[in-house]
Order: sequence, then structure tokens, then C-alpha cells
Amino acid sequence: MTSYLARRAAQAIVVVIGVTILTFILIHLIPGSAARAALGVHATSGRIAIFNTAYGLDKPLYAQFADYVGQLLRGNLGVSYTTQQPVSALIAQRLPGDVLLLGVSTVLAVAIAIPMGIYQAVKRSRLSDQLLDAVSFTLYTMPDFFVAFMLIALFSVQLHILPPEAPQATGIAGLLADPRALVLPIATLTLSNLAGFSRYMRASAIDVLAEDFLRTARAKGLPERLVLVRHVLRNSVLPVVTVVGLTFPNIIAGAVIAEAVFSYQGMGLLFYQAATSHDYPVLLGSTLIVGAATVVGSLAADVAYGLLDPRIRHGRG
Amino acid sequence: MRTPRRLAAAAAAAAVIGLAACSGSGGSSAIGNGAASSATGQKVQGGTATLAWPDGSAPNLIFPLAPATNTNGYNANLTQLMWPYLVYDGDGAQSAVNPQESLFSSLTYGNGDTTITIKLKPWKWSDGTPITSRDFTFVYNLLKANVPNWVVYTPGLFPDDVKSVATPSASTIVVTLTRSYNADFYTDNVLSQIPLLPQQAWDKESAGGKVGNYDETAAGAKAVWAFLQKEGSDLSTFTTNPLWKVVDGPFTLASFSSDGDYTYAPNKNYSGTVPALSRVVNQVFTTDTAEMDALRSGTSLTVGTLPQNDVGQVATLKSEGYDVVNQPIPGAAGTLLNFYNAKTGPLVSQLYIRQAMEELIDRPQIVSKIFQGYADPGDGPVPVQGFGQWVSPLEKQGGPYPYDPAKAVSLLKSHGWQVTPSGTSVCQAPGTGPAECGAGITKGEPLSFQLLYSSGTASVDEAQAAIQSSEEQGGIKITLKSEPFATLASVIGQCTASSHPASTCGWQLVDFGYDPYQLDPTGNTLFNTGGANNLGGYSSPEEDALINETEYGSSAQTFYTYEDYTAEQLPWLWGPLPSQIDVYKSGLGGFAPLNPFRGSINPEDWYYTK
Repeated sequence: MTSYLARRAAQAIVVVIGVTILTFILIHLIPGSAARAALGVHATSGRIAIFNTAYGLDKPLYAQFADYVGQLLRGNLGVSYTTQQPVSALIAQRLPGDVLLLGVSTVLAVAIAIPMGIYQAVKRSRLSDQLLDAVSFTLYTMPDFFVAFMLIALFSVQLHILPPEAPQATGIAGLLADPRALVLPIATLTLSNLAGFSRYMRASAIDVLAEDFLRTARAKGLPERLVLVRHVLRNSVLPVVTVVGLTFPNIIAGAVIAEAVFSYQGMGLLFYQAATSHDYPVLLGSTLIVGAATVVGSLAADVAYGLLDPRIRHGRG
Repeated sequence: MRTPRRLAAAAAAAAVIGLAACSGSGGSSAIGNGAASSATGQKVQGGTATLAWPDGSAPNLIFPLAPATNTNGYNANLTQLMWPYLVYDGDGAQSAVNPQESLFSSLTYGNGDTTITIKLKPWKWSDGTPITSRDFTFVYNLLKANVPNWVVYTPGLFPDDVKSVATPSASTIVVTLTRSYNADFYTDNVLSQIPLLPQQAWDKESAGGKVGNYDETAAGAKAVWAFLQKEGSDLSTFTTNPLWKVVDGPFTLASFSSDGDYTYAPNKNYSGTVPALSRVVNQVFTTDTAEMDALRSGTSLTVGTLPQNDVGQVATLKSEGYDVVNQPIPGAAGTLLNFYNAKTGPLVSQLYIRQAMEELIDRPQIVSKIFQGYADPGDGPVPVQGFGQWVSPLEKQGGPYPYDPAKAVSLLKSHGWQVTPSGTSVCQAPGTGPAECGAGITKGEPLSFQLLYSSGTASVDEAQAAIQSSEEQGGIKITLKSEPFATLASVIGQCTASSHPASTCGWQLVDFGYDPYQLDPTGNTLFNTGGANNLGGYSSPEEDALINETEYGSSAQTFYTYEDYTAEQLPWLWGPLPSQIDVYKSGLGGFAPLNPFRGSINPEDWYYTK
């Protein structure tokens, strides 16, 4: 396992370096001037020159890349062209909100989707399965923002019992200080994730329920509850682990629609704003962080596979 | 408030939900004109007002003199309530200087308008020391040594045009200029950008250093500037750094969050009228929709803005205890023309073509149908609403080119065009004669343009579509393309006769929204040859002479002459300028009359009533 992890970690570093190079090249292929985007339409040539010198944009591309790699090696992600703040500070400011909101909603969605999927598989084609199917299909087809607006219209505008905004504080402690404001954004993201996870879980559990080893377990007199927990759950959860692992980068990358609707400034909006304003350092920094999160999520899913299924042992042959 | 295009669908859905949610609600849907606040009752001390700000409005510099690389206009919103300008622009709803809140007691122009004698009020800094003429020289020395690295620097103006500054007393400043100016222009547009800064607290080169007179040498002024820029950009110390605790405005900063939310508390030692409110909270919303949801759900939000497309929500907002007022925006609005685009430059260089294009824009209909009546008609360079004495009789009467499709078609035909309504007109008679298409226009050339505009606002989309549609009546084909503002800015540069590189001069027509005016709606930088904001390269010696006359001459009539000439010559195609629609708690007194030159942000005048 150790050698496997070391090998995957080395692969991860290569992937992240590749992502960095590719992103750097692609960003610089975008037509238009970063200085003009940052300084606005009335930027004089003098101001543009000052800006380009200040940010090294007057150097050849290879020199800019060398500078960027140099500062990365010193742990410096650069300074945003538009906010004039260190990119690391911007990410540190935005990340806690996303980790809390998306992390909690993902955990909740998984916690509900797993029993729901197994239940539907066991009750396959019965009325309860069909009702839950209808609910999950409805949620699956609804865009995030629509779910959010429905919840806001009901609980904020009509009933006035929950605020329509996420907590406005920064930092985990500040966010948790206003728990009522967390309810609607977390509910929206949970409902959006739930539909997908439960569909995977149901399909996987149906496959497992058809396996011979379950018939054997039941023939041996194993109670149905233990059959479901020890055999169905453990075997059917594997595909969901993959999906959840691939969801991990979303927790870091943010959810731009939910951020927009619930007015919290997360990584999604940071990336969107950077993309529309040619803010290269923020784009590169965000991509690097999300790229690393993707690699980590994928690795975590692989490791979890090994732990859940004894037949899978990484690092042998 | 601009919103990303991809969120437009979300906004539309929100509007639908909003309409469903408010069905059956009664109440008036009238929007006030902002002449007076609706609050009645006795003024009380204390209370918190919470203002909504749009996404991207987070300030990032607290030092009031921003460097050239920092164009974040929201920094001024943060700082002007703590370090007000020498001249306070806007007096209630009037485009006039506010004498109560300005820092001077008198401004006298002499020697043929080449010297200005400024008498300061006997006001004090929050640390108890008096505001003196030395504070002015401190600012002047910093700017003189660090220009052009000052974001509002205009070459030739302050401090370039200052021959000398004398301080005959602690309360008197005599500024000698290198040339004479129109006094209104200089007071309204130049001195209104100069704050006074506390020399006795800020004239330092390092945090641990002592206060001195470092600004009196160029090297020292550069060091002080660098130090203050560095300290001023550290968001984490905005409320703790001793530098920023010394203010002369009505407020001090009580809290600041790096995501842009911040809170003011009254400056208890303010020499003017100390604000009644005990807290002013500034809160950033990521979208218009999020802000609207907050308003409709009856949260603590006190002041917000209503997107034009949500005017239908007024009755609901009123039922939640808000009032709604219309605030005209002081700015020039319209479509910029690129006179140096290789393909379309020769077309727009012809006045008759610009004239036909203008006569095909149904401005009154756009105002009434798309902006619900809450927009300036855009009949020329100066908005009719909000500028009172600056608006010429011609503009008041609808401008030189009212909507007249028949006249436009006739004009094109008389210049050799085969006009194809709903198609594309083509030049039939090339040449430079009076009945021919004009210089540089070839036979068969189509009247076809691409119009770029800033994306993210549904009402603006509709207005551009209306222009596209009405231009078709004259066979003028407009292809619309919307982009985020920053994307447009990144590819659009200034095009002049001497420089029009393809990379930044490939655009044909562009509409950025509007260019803001200060108190004096000068055409300098917008329409003069080589003006920094004259992106399309319009050039006319007569226009230049008239603009110069408005800045340097002394006749009030000159401005109307300039204004009418500009309206007729169409350096831009004039278009409507939508108003800002403000929403405020009906118990908030002092909110109106609105001051359009400060974006309605006058919390020093606000109070609650009982």
C-alpha cells in the first residue's frame, strides 16, 4: 500500500505540474490585454505600461512562466490583478465557506442517499420505490438555482422563517455563528447531490441483490438486517465511493450558482470573476488548487476501494 | 449592477418566482422622484442602516490617493466619508457644490482666474489637531512627486498645472496656476478630487518612524507615498492601523472584512454635524437577485438598488416597509463609434450616416417601454435629468435628431444609397460629391456594423435589440455581441489617426453603458482630439476649441454652444441612460433628496424617526 501511495503521489505531482503548464498557456492565449481588463476602458498607455511592469507582463511568456514557477516554489501564488490582494489570501478567505457548505451538504446527501438507494432496491418497483424515484428524478432534472429559488420563495419570502442569504462572515467560526443562515444553502446543495447519489446507490444495490452469495447468506439463516448491512451495503457502496471521490474537487471549486443565489463569496465566484476579468494569477492559483483536489479525491476513492473490498489490494503485482 | 451573463437565467427565474410570490399584494407601485424623504416624525439618534453593494465592490485600499494600477472605484466610496474632498460635490439633488460639507469656507479666483485663494474652515482632525494649510501642501507634495502614479491623474491638470502653492496662514492656501481656468470647472471637477490628509499623522516613511516633513523633498515624498500605499493595502489592518484612525470626515471605520463588508461608526469629533446613525453597515451581495431576495424577505437591509427589470416588485417592496425612488445618473450615454476601423471607419466618418443612425433610434420608446420611464432620454452629451442649469434648450426639446425613420431613409437615399428596409442598404453612388456616399466608401458597400455591449443586464439586452430592430428600417444592419465588461475592456483600446492597431481597434461600435460626469459635465477627455476617453478617435478642431472654451473661458453661454455642437456632430450615437432605482426603509429620514454625484451614499445625513 505504501509503495502504491508513493507511486500515486508522484503521478499526482506530474498531473498538477501538467495542469499548471497547460493552464498557463491557455490563459495567455485568451485574446485581449490583462492590463486593459484590470484598468478599464479608459486606461491610458502610461497606466498600462506601469501595470505591465508591476506584474511582469512586459516580459516574454517563457520569462513570465519562469517567474511564476519560481514564486510557486516559494509558496507564493501571486497577487490578483483586480483586487490587488495575494491569491493565497483570497483562496484562504473563500475556501472555508465552500468547505463547510459543500462539505456538509455532500456528507448529508451521502448519508441520505445510501439508505434511500438500498431501500428502493429492496422495494424495487413497488409504490414506495416509484414515489422516491419520482422525487429523485424531479430533483435530478432541476437546476440548482431553481431549487434554491423555490426554497427562498417559501421559507424566506412567504414564511419569513429563514434568511435568504448564507452567513456573511468569513471563517468557519463566523459561518457557524449564524446557523439559521446555513439551512437553505445546505438544503439546496444536499437536494441537488442527493438525487444523483441515490440513483447510483439504487442501481448498484439492485445488482448486488441479484448475486448468489446473498442467497447463500439468507439460506444460512442470516437475518435480513445483517444481510443488508454486511453484504448489500458493503458491496453496493463501491460505485458511490467513486462518485463521492470525484465530487471532492467541487467542494474546493465551489458552486457558482449557489454562491450567486445565496450571496456568499466562494471559490466558484472567485474563479468566474477571475475568468471574466483576465485575472491570470487568480485563475492559475484556483486551477492549481482544484487540480490538486481532483487528484487527492481520486486517490482517496482508490484507497477507500481497497478498504471496503478486501479483494482489491493496491500495490501487489 | 452588472451580473454575469450566465446568471441572467437565474435572475429571470427569480423574477418569475417573485411575481408568483407577490401575487395578490396590494399597495402603490409608484416610484418617487427622490425630491424628499417619505419619513415623517421626530428625528432620533442612533440606529443601524445596512446598505447593499454589488458584487465586486469590495474596497482594497484605504489610503485615499490610489496608484495608477488600482482602478477600484469602490475605494473612494470607502474613504470619502472619512477623508472628504476639499470640495464636496452635489448639494442635495442639485449639481452644485455643497458648502456645508466642503472643507473650505471660501474659494476666490483672482489674477484672471490664475490664482485660487482657499480659506479653510476651522475644523479639526479626529485626534483634535486643527486642519491646516499644511495638510493641503502635504497632499500636493505627495502628488507632485508621484504623478503619474495617481489613478485620477489627467495629464496637464492638477498637480501639473500648479505653478506654486503658498500658505500665508494656517487656514489660507494660495494656489497659482500655470494658466487661467473657468472657475466652475476647476472647482467642480479638479478641487473636488483633492482630499486633505493629516500631515501631522501620516508624514512618515515607516510604521516605526517619527512624523516629519519628509514630503517636502521629492525623495521623501516618494518614500511616504510608498509607505502609505503599502499600509493602505493591508486589509487586515484597516481598522487597527493608527494611521487610519485619524479622520476629518463624519465617520470612522469600525469593522472591515476582507470580503468587502464593512461598518462605519460616527466620528465623535467631527467638526460638522455628527451623524445620527450609530452604525452604517455595508454589505456585498453577489447578485441583484440575492439582494432582491433579501429586500423581499424583510431582512435588516435598509438601502438597496432595484434592477430595472424588477420594477414590477415595487408594490411588494412597499408592503415590506420600503420606499422606492428614481435617481438619474450623471453621465454621458450612447454608442461609441470607431472612426479608425478599417471597414466601418469611413462609414461613420460621414455625418449624414451618423445622423441617419441616430434618427433611427427610438429613444422615447426605449425609455418608456424598456426602462419603464426611469431613464434619461439621452438627447445629447448632457443628461436632461439631474443637470439642471447645464442642459441647453436644444437638448431639453429632444435634441437635434429626434426619431424620424422617413427622414433617415431620405437622407441615405440622397447620398447615393440603395435603401433596403429589413435588409442591408448598399452604396450605389461612390464618390465625394454631395449626392454620393462619401470618401472611402466603395460601390456595393453595405451599411453593416457589429455592436459590442456589456452583458449581464436584461434591460440593456432589450434596449440593444430595440436599436438593432429600429435601425433595420433604414437597412442598417446591426449585429449584436455582448461580453462581460472586463472582456470588452481587454480588447478595446483608444484608436487615433496616428495609432490604430488591429488588436485593439478592430471594434466597430461599442456601448459600455455610460461615462460618469463630475459636477461640470465637460467634454474634455470624451470628445476632444486625443482625449483619454475618446476611444473611437473622433477629431474636430471646432469641437476641441469649444471644449477648451468651456474649461478655460468664463462665459456661461459657451457651454451651451459646446453642448449643442456636440449633440449635432454625433461623436457618439446618443442613447438613453437608465436611472438608478433606490430602495430604502420608509422610516429612514434624510435619504432624499438624492445626491446623484455621490451615488446616494450620504449616510451622514440619514436618521431614523419615531
